[in-house]
Amino acid sequence: MFDNDFLALLPETFLVSATILLLIYGVVYSTSKQHAAQPNVRNIAWLGLCCIFITLILLVTQPITTANLCYNNFILDNFTFSFKVGLLISTICTILMCLQYFQQEAGTPFESIILILMSTCSMMFLISAYDLIAMYLAIELQSLCFYVIAASKRNSEFSTEAGLKYFLLGAFSSGILLFGCSMIYGFTGVTNLEELAKIFTIQAFGPSSNVSLEPNFLQTTQLFFESHSSGVFLGILFIAVGFLFKITAVPFHMWAPDVYEGSPTYVTAFFSIVPKIALIAIMLRVFIYSFYDPTWQQLFVFCSIASMILGAFAALSQKKVKRLLAYSSIGHVGYLLIGFSCGTIEGIQSLLIALFIYVLMTINVFAIVLALRENRLKYISDFGALAKTNPVLALTMSITMFSYAGIPPLAGFCSKFYLFFAALGCGAYLVAFVGILTSVISCFYYIRFVKIMYFDTPKTWILYKPMDREKSILLGFTLFCITFFFLYPSPLFLVTHKMALSLCL
Amino acid sequence: MEFAPISVYLVISLLLSLILVGVSFLFASSSNLAYPEKLSAYECGFDPFDDARSRFDIRFYLVSILFIIFGATVSNQVILEVTFLFPWAVSLKKIGLFGFWSMMVFLLILTIGFIYEWKKGALDWE
Repeated sequence: MFDNDFLALLPETFLVSATILLLIYGVVYSTSKQHAAQPNVRNIAWLGLCCIFITLILLVTQPITTANLCYNNFILDNFTFSFKVGLLISTICTILMCLQYFQQEAGTPFESIILILMSTCSMMFLISAYDLIAMYLAIELQSLCFYVIAASKRNSEFSTEAGLKYFLLGAFSSGILLFGCSMIYGFTGVTNLEELAKIFTIQAFGPSSNVSLEPNFLQTTQLFFESHSSGVFLGILFIAVGFLFKITAVPFHMWAPDVYEGSPTYVTAFFSIVPKIALIAIMLRVFIYSFYDPTWQQLFVFCSIASMILGAFAALSQKKVKRLLAYSSIGHVGYLLIGFSCGTIEGIQSLLIALFIYVLMTINVFAIVLALRENRLKYISDFGALAKTNPVLALTMSITMFSYAGIPPLAGFCSKFYLFFAALGCGAYLVAFVGILTSVISCFYYIRFVKIMYFDTPKTWILYKPMDREKSILLGFTLFCITFFFLYPSPLFLVTHKMALSLCL
Repeated sequence: MEFAPISVYLVISLLLSLILVGVSFLFASSSNLAYPEKLSAYECGFDPFDDARSRFDIRFYLVSILFIIFGATVSNQVILEVTFLFPWAVSLKKIGLFGFWSMMVFLLILTIGFIYEWKKGALDWE
């Protein structure tokens, strides 16, 4: 019975076993006396990179593309496939851009790579989770790895604080999520997302729908919902709040700036790129597929508007680079939630496009931040006169910032344009209006980077060491994608359309 | 229903221990309580050298975390690993080879964690 399951879960199984072998290799090698206990973070990082690459190959060449696995606990379809590919590629990019960091800070424990691999595994499971319990367990495994790597720099107070804060608020949000799941289970009696989808479809469309079921069953379900809808509503609300905590949407964003600023830079890069992908995937699965229901939509509209406004205004007064990027990512979560709150196929498609472009831009910007960290790049003013000391990097940075701000021919403009277009198409005029307004406001601080780099003369000139090959290739590639996206956007459109269709149909 | 005698047993043992403590209060003479040396902390006859608040050894935490993971029974709280082993051991006949190998995989992963601890030196007490 499980033969096909093992075959279909081969990428995940491979990644788990490879991670375990790497752990043993790392611990034996780093404690052995013959090798003089040399720190081998970089070695493990390269091996981990190879593991993820092989996982990617296994995933792409996998013969089973559509299946329900392990007693309906996991699902494989087009949607999960594309999301997993995206997740693995962005993990590869994150590890690539951290390699120089590991060389400079040789004291970094090799376990952080193991934990990154482990959380990647759990995010792969999270993307294909098809049951509330499987979903919760995958989220917990991922967050446990994150708590540890956030606090991994033991001699830094900021890192410890970030880890503690992340742990407390993460545990709190997981508790809320779990309470929501138990409410849903208590009032419907199922945890499987497909079963939930059946129940909610009948509730949403009533007996007049085309769902061909016996009228008796329909009547009992209707009766059931009239008496239980408040409990189910509470469950949905709590699950939504738990997820909004995890993706740092606004009323629940308090931890994000501190955690992003406090944890080591490579961890921040990982946090702001990779988990967003997995969480958005499972949120789409849960809310669009299972709970297709207007009750959560108002909450998401509110969070979207609030995130956009706070992301725009709070970032105005930031002086530290990582904190500013944290607020900017909060704002971008707001933009992503626009696509969410439409609930149409166009909305989901525009969300997926925006997610792809957000990841691309964030990889680029964090590669720059990591490249400039030699002299403790901390404040925005440290970018001063970068245009004179390193003109190509300054140009890259300014193009990325223009793209973040949404200046026309760049990729960021396309993503925002399609989001607003989808919002207008489904009649969410207020959201589109606020989105345009906040994107104009946020131009101010994105373009301030350009002003600082090109026109300011700083008091102290900071000279940065040249970056390594991996980061420069990454920067070149992402910059190429950002700049020339508008010339040939159709592949991305086709892929995202296919994903949205396979989710909704 | 078999918990009823246990709870009665708990109450009786509580009463018995209270009685055992109370009896000594009844019969002991309290005349030399005012003697201050009897109330001071016992440090092998000397006065205490420094503050009692000293640095706490991290190894106690390590041991307790290992204990939580590899588990044992603490009053009525049964912790992780052994918790999983109990139902497996009881129902091994029904779940067959598949159940057996599933648990072996679980134990393998746990053993790898144990090897990691060992190599890292968390089990060394000097």
